[in-house]
Amino acid sequence: MADAQHSAHAERHRALVESLAAQVRPVRPLWRVRVRAGLWLLLETLVLAWAATRTGDDHAARFAHPFYALEVLSFAGAAAVAGMLALRAAIPGRRVAPGEIAIALGLAVGGTVLFILGAPVNAGASLGAFAGRGIPCAIETCVLGAAPWLALWWAVRRAAPTRGALAGALVGAGAMLFSFALMRIRCSIDEPAHLLVWHLLPALALIGLSTLAGSIWLRFRPRAAARM
Amino acid sequence: MLSALEGPTDSALDTRIDPPPAGELAPLAGVRVVPSVAASAAACCFYGFSRHDAPARAAEIALDDRVPLMKHPDDAHRRERSRMRAQLMERLQRGDAEACRLLLDDIGPAVMRFLRGRVAAADLEDVYQEVFMALFEARHTYERGRPLEPWLFAIARNIAADHARRTSSRASWEELSGDPPERAEADSPARAPDLDALLSRLPAAQREAFAMLKLDGLTLEAAAGRAGVSVGALKVRAHRAYKALKKLIAGEGAGEGD
Repeated sequence: MADAQHSAHAERHRALVESLAAQVRPVRPLWRVRVRAGLWLLLETLVLAWAATRTGDDHAARFAHPFYALEVLSFAGAAAVAGMLALRAAIPGRRVAPGEIAIALGLAVGGTVLFILGAPVNAGASLGAFAGRGIPCAIETCVLGAAPWLALWWAVRRAAPTRGALAGALVGAGAMLFSFALMRIRCSIDEPAHLLVWHLLPALALIGLSTLAGSIWLRFRPRAAARM
Repeated sequence: MLSALEGPTDSALDTRIDPPPAGELAPLAGVRVVPSVAASAAACCFYGFSRHDAPARAAEIALDDRVPLMKHPDDAHRRERSRMRAQLMERLQRGDAEACRLLLDDIGPAVMRFLRGRVAAADLEDVYQEVFMALFEARHTYERGRPLEPWLFAIARNIAADHARRTSSRASWEELSGDPPERAEADSPARAPDLDALLSRLPAAQREAFAMLKLDGLTLEAAAGRAGVSVGALKVRAHRAYKALKKLIAGEGAGEGD
């Protein structure tokens, strides 16, 4: 009985192997994670350059303020780490250590603390004025994050992420935290409530959506097997 | 050297004992347990043979398919094999069909052992095939110069988890939808033909093609992959099966009418 089962398995194995061997074609292996992460950061730098040239602010004077410089660098660093982790998490067998996620999270939380402490809260502004100044910022945060998000999503999708939600979250964090950093350069308002509600909240909402999208569409499911 | 990889049969190289947690065998502070030694010790404890016989006996046990454990003492040999698998994978990425055969034959037993602890015996063969298809489809994601095994087993684990999820959702759906409707009475004049009996009268290849497409609901590509034939050949088999079944049903109807 066991022999019969074994030989049946061996027969099926042989047929499967022959069928797959008949379909073998050269494939282009993925570039190394650090190369792809470098290209993605290059794209981010281009977006940054484009965004910086379209504001009339004196960037040098703003960056002279250590809290501000540290805050922008923290968010940009968190985005870079998240982007690299997203690319790595998409390779089967490559692990994302909790410590690495903690670094990205720590940088983002640190940046948040810095902008909350960096300027006093303006409690006197009317709700209309608060929303009127904030809504364009929220829209711009989403728009600036779109291109990096699409690029990173495509790069991750081309690999085979086995944990879709994690990959989606990291893609979202990479793109949206960078977008937040960009918006800190583009927007001249330093008031913490404005930054929390109109900059950070939209970024966090989009990270949540990206996580959801990742759990649905990003997880590697082989086409042939998915139909079985 | 590559000839050693041929054939889907197991070999002593594949036999390894997963070591128990070091703390279990070295309760004393400062005592370091080497994994292979721990493995031999574990085998001794489980099967009651002397420690000197452990590697040989452990190999026998694994070949006997009763135990998924074992760690071969020869790490250098295993490293060499791992390196060879990585080379075969690189050749497969370049489109070498022979490397594909050698690699899949070599990893087959390891994949089967890996799945055995995670998938019900009845589904083992299907999941095994899914894993192979997934490996093939994701071959561009293997990073050259890295060991193949973590990549391979991450994919296998993903497929096994997917299968477990599908199985559990199917089970809960069946539970929710209650009992299937009762069959028509055997003596009912309008009863459906006995499909099992009719299928048993078809040639094996046609029966298999029909079952995969119409009963299991596989796509043409998946069914062809499973049968190990081209899609065209599978279509021909299925078409012949439909024609033969039509004839058989018509014949049965005429017989009943007489």
